[in-house]
Parts: sequence; structure tokens; C-alpha cells
Amino acid sequence: MQTNLLSNVTSAKSTLMTDKIDHPQLCQWLDDVATTRDKKAFTQLFQFFAPKIQRIAYGKFQNETQACEVVQETMSNVWRKAHLFDASKGAATTWVYTVMRNVTFDMLRKIKGNREDNLSDDIWPLAEQSISNEECFDDHLENSQLLSVIDTLPEAQKQIVKGFYFMEMSQEQLATHLNLPLGTIKSRLRLALAKLKVQLGDNND
Amino acid sequence: MIKHHPSFELIQSFVNGDLPASLSAGIAIHADMCPKCQQIISQLTEQVAENSFEETFLDRFIVDDMSDFDDNNMSNNDLKFTDMIDNITSSEEIAVAKTKVEKTINFREKTYQLPSALHSMKLGKTAQIGKLSRARVQLDEGEIHTTLLHISPGGGVPEHTHKGFELTVLLDGSFHDEQGEYVKGDFIMLDSSHQHHPISIQGCLCYTVANDALHFTQGINKLLNPIGAFIY
Repeated sequence: MQTNLLSNVTSAKSTLMTDKIDHPQLCQWLDDVATTRDKKAFTQLFQFFAPKIQRIAYGKFQNETQACEVVQETMSNVWRKAHLFDASKGAATTWVYTVMRNVTFDMLRKIKGNREDNLSDDIWPLAEQSISNEECFDDHLENSQLLSVIDTLPEAQKQIVKGFYFMEMSQEQLATHLNLPLGTIKSRLRLALAKLKVQLGDNND
Repeated sequence: MIKHHPSFELIQSFVNGDLPASLSAGIAIHADMCPKCQQIISQLTEQVAENSFEETFLDRFIVDDMSDFDDNNMSNNDLKFTDMIDNITSSEEIAVAKTKVEKTINFREKTYQLPSALHSMKLGKTAQIGKLSRARVQLDEGEIHTTLLHISPGGGVPEHTHKGFELTVLLDGSFHDEQGEYVKGDFIMLDSSHQHHPISIQGCLCYTVANDALHFTQGINKLLNPIGAFIY
């Protein structure tokens, strides 16, 4: 088998050649796929994960076609489910690993037993919840309420609220990242917060 | 309090996805009720994931034959990957998060919540013998049989052993045997070296996995051996 992804379009070189994984970068790409269906970010993710998935799957199936099927299936799940990834619940690598392991498990069952019952997502739910006490559950509920309110914001404001509060980027970082003047970031954030206050106030009444 | 847990080796195989569905579900059910094992699983998954994706793959994919390359220096695999990326990203489809549903099962007029790991599994009809009722979980795993076994209050299984292994995860209620008392969530893995005679005073529901019929070992109960296959 031959692979030479380094020659391919984008410059993922530094990520591919080191032993250390750049976790914030992976999260960022996943987020770009989730929020803007960014194909470039997906290509980066693909170049990082696909060859490794292919190798691991080949180890399990001893068959190139099936190894490729695992890559295809896993990566298309990443594309379709990126918005379900929650960086606060675990690393991007853990999430992609879970997707890959589940795809592999269902495929093995299909090959061995001719069963297409896709049990894996019940056995290993994707958003693996960490141990939580009641307090965490409360927080979680509040978060999901907050999230649904945030989703009602205009796209431009949503982006900034999410970047600032969920990904903990600074206003300066956001300005660079979104290629906008710092003042715009600040005013959008202020506007968004004012709206959220009204909405959450309403909901809490 | 839960006292019986899966071994670390078993958890490892679970995380790697190497166990059959029956045993994987058994561990998932236990972990749902056992924060301690849940934590071990989370940590191990994180670690395995990290190891899987951090190794450089280049040493395994060194290109030593350039003949397959075109002018752009792209391998066949690269082209395949490029196709794959185009193909995947052309889809507009977005997965919707699964909403949590609850499923229940009835045994002797009592309703039990079905563990979420079993939600997509097909269950056979319930059959009864005395105080025992069972529904087979239809996983088609050859010699491995998976069952939901219900014991009515005061019921039990005569002293027996197994030629293979017998896993019991207690879903509800409690039972005891010569080794002690078992409670909801306990993960009890026995092999042929164990003989036991479980009795449930208050009644219980178990998820059991065994790879051979049980074998009754004592006196008149030996006459029951033909029904050993019924239970597991």
C-alpha cells in the first residue's frame, strides 16, 4: 500500500510529522466543519485521521477494501456529526476514535454474522458522558437551554458568542480569526449579550 | 453497593471493540450503573485514542516504489482519498442528535426499564418454567447465548456449573449464592471452576451471557439437565 499525503494540496505537514497531537487545532477544524461546513477544515481532518484509520482498520480486517470502507464511513460520520462533538466532554481524538470503533464494530458484525443491526451507538453512545453528580446535571440542563437561545442569534453574533464563551478565545483572537476589526467584535458581543439577557429573562420568569 | 466489576482486561477489550456484542453490552450496562468503571472506561478510551492517532504513520507507509506515481507525484491512494473527500463533503446531510428514549419490558406483570445498550436488540418471546422466565436476546453469536432472566420472589436456579463462562449483570432486585449477596449493577463473571446455587428472595431481573448450557451438579437436580439449555 502506498500513501504520500504530504504531497497533497494543503500543508498539513507539521501535524503529520510530529508525534504530538495538536488538540486545539483538531477542535478548531471540527468546529469549522460544524459551523460553516468548511471543506478545507474537513480536508485537514481527513489528512490527519484517514491514513491512521486505514492502517488500524487494515489490522482488524486484513483487507484493503474493508479498511477503505471504514475510512469512508468514519470520515463521513465526522462530516455529518461534527456539530455533535462537544469539546468540553473530551478530546477530538477520543471522539473520532469512538466513531471509528463503532463503525468497525458494526461492520465486523455484518461480515461475521450477516447482521445489520448497528448496535454500537447504543453500546458506546457518542457523547460519552463523564461522571456527574446532580449539580452537573443542573448545569447541563441550563447549558442546553442557553445553547438553544444562543442558536436564535444572528449568525454573525452567534459565531462570536461561541468563540468567546465556549472556545475561550480572546476578543483579539476572534478579530484575527474572523478577519474583523476588534471594535466590530466588541460591539457584536455586546449586542448578543443584550439579546441573551432579554431572552433568558423571559424564559426564567 | 456494587461490589463486582469487570476485570481490567475485559474493559480493555471492550474499549478496543474486540468483544462480542453480548459481552460489550454487559459491560456497558454495568458501567451505566457504576461510576467507577465508567471513569476507567473514559480514561482508557482517551488514552487508546491518543495512542492510535499520535504515532507517525510515515514509517509504515514509506513510498519505495515510485512507478505508480503520475507527474503530480500523487499515489493511487491519494487520488482515492481526494475522491472520498469530495464525495463526503458533497453531502448536505446532517446527523440529528438522538433523543433519549425509554424502553421497557414486562415480566410477570412487572415493568422493567430496558438498559439503553439493548435498545436495538431483538428480543424473543418470553418463556416460563416455574419461577423462572426468560427472553432470549437474539444476537446470533453462535454458541454464545444472551438472555434476560427473571426470577420471581423465592425462586432460584438449582446448583449448577458451566462448561464455558457465565456472565450475570443484575439489572434489578437482588439474589444470593454461596459466595454472598449480589445487588443491582453487579457484574458477575463465572467459569467452569465455579459452582453456584443462586436464590432470589425478593425477585430479580438479570442480563446473562453464557457460551454453553448450564450443568446441574447435585442429586435429583441432575434430572433437570435437559432444561439447563432452557435457562441460558
